[in-house]
Amino acid sequence: MAKLIFRLLLSFIVFVGIFLVIQDYLTPESFGKYGHYRANAIEDNKLDIPQFKGEEKCASCHEDIYDLKSETVSIDDDEYILHSNLRCETCHTPKIDANTECKVKPPKLESTRKMCAQCHFLNAARKNKIKMIDLTDHNEDKNCIECHNPHKPWIE
Amino acid sequence: MDRINKNRRKFFQTSVALVGGTIFYSLIKPFEAIAKETTIEKNVDKPLWGMGVDIEKCIGCGKCTAACKTENKVPEVPFYFRTWVEQYTVKNDGTVKIESPNGGIDGLVQSVPDEDIFKSFMVPKLCNHCSNAPCVQACPVGATFVSPDGVVLVDETYCIGCRYCIQACPYGARYIDPIKKVVDKCTFCYHRINEGLQPACVEVCPTDARIFGDLRDKKSKLVKFLQKNQTQVLKPHLNTHSKVFYNGLSSEVK
Repeated sequence: MAKLIFRLLLSFIVFVGIFLVIQDYLTPESFGKYGHYRANAIEDNKLDIPQFKGEEKCASCHEDIYDLKSETVSIDDDEYILHSNLRCETCHTPKIDANTECKVKPPKLESTRKMCAQCHFLNAARKNKIKMIDLTDHNEDKNCIECHNPHKPWIE
Repeated sequence: MDRINKNRRKFFQTSVALVGGTIFYSLIKPFEAIAKETTIEKNVDKPLWGMGVDIEKCIGCGKCTAACKTENKVPEVPFYFRTWVEQYTVKNDGTVKIESPNGGIDGLVQSVPDEDIFKSFMVPKLCNHCSNAPCVQACPVGATFVSPDGVVLVDETYCIGCRYCIQACPYGARYIDPIKKVVDKCTFCYHRINEGLQPACVEVCPTDARIFGDLRDKKSKLVKFLQKNQTQVLKPHLNTHSKVFYNGLSSEVK
């Protein structure tokens, strides 16, 4: 083999070798395991801690309120679910870590007319889906919870 | 004479080896797809997550938007959303008004007087978790990908914040996190679903307008929802193979 060719081949092999070593150092662990991405990123995405704990968690301490909320009402032989299918955290958004801080600083829920209006205010898109209340007309000087218990919202 | 023949034979041998090798490689290449197919089939025991959205049930209260922001620490500032609700109002004169003030987080309020309304409905939106995701194709560094269980995820440590995926997403589901300076999007609450919980938006929805489940599990709520209703995906002409299915989707929805 000519010396020239030998040198060319040798330098080619050396460069490819250097490239492979650098590539190995720069490619993060688990890259390309499932595709063109870092497979460990899937695990990274699982790391967050859930804020919303689910109603079983709430019911484990507040069973009385949970049972009250789960009641349904029958009007003219039709059963109405009203708020009974709502999850606790639909209204009681977690503001603190319920596991540790619940008794130390209980989260206060501001039961304002605005909050009820979020679901119940007049809107053409809510027809036949939910009981709509015209809050500009319905006891405008009162807070909703003065008459309606949100866990049992019908008036007997 | 003898020498020439030897060289000629060598030349032919090399030529045949080169041409044969090329042809052989071109024969193998298409089978790479099959090799990949088999790796996908290995994931059949894994779930394939999807979501159903029932427009006929959504009341536009915005609880999902708020819950998503709480759960995933999305910046409180308007215009950063992983999920949001839009109200479509078709007026009697045929024009369509689309509005979503602050993503509908405080509950959507109808701004068109009742007598002008032909029809009105709410459309919750989120990342569609496409199987054939344009954002994944656009990403130059492999920082966004479809996970084996069908969720489009972002690798925060790998994202360079180039915004190509934001441009590529036909559903407007991505934004740049103003603090981390990397892209952020709906993950179906990946940390929750892997613990057996529902995504936060599904958990809080007061009318059960969102249904989450495993598309491979024939007994799941989601599969039941798909079998019961005539569902559509958003922008089917883009061939994104979206995994968010809408019941009662009107043609006005963009």
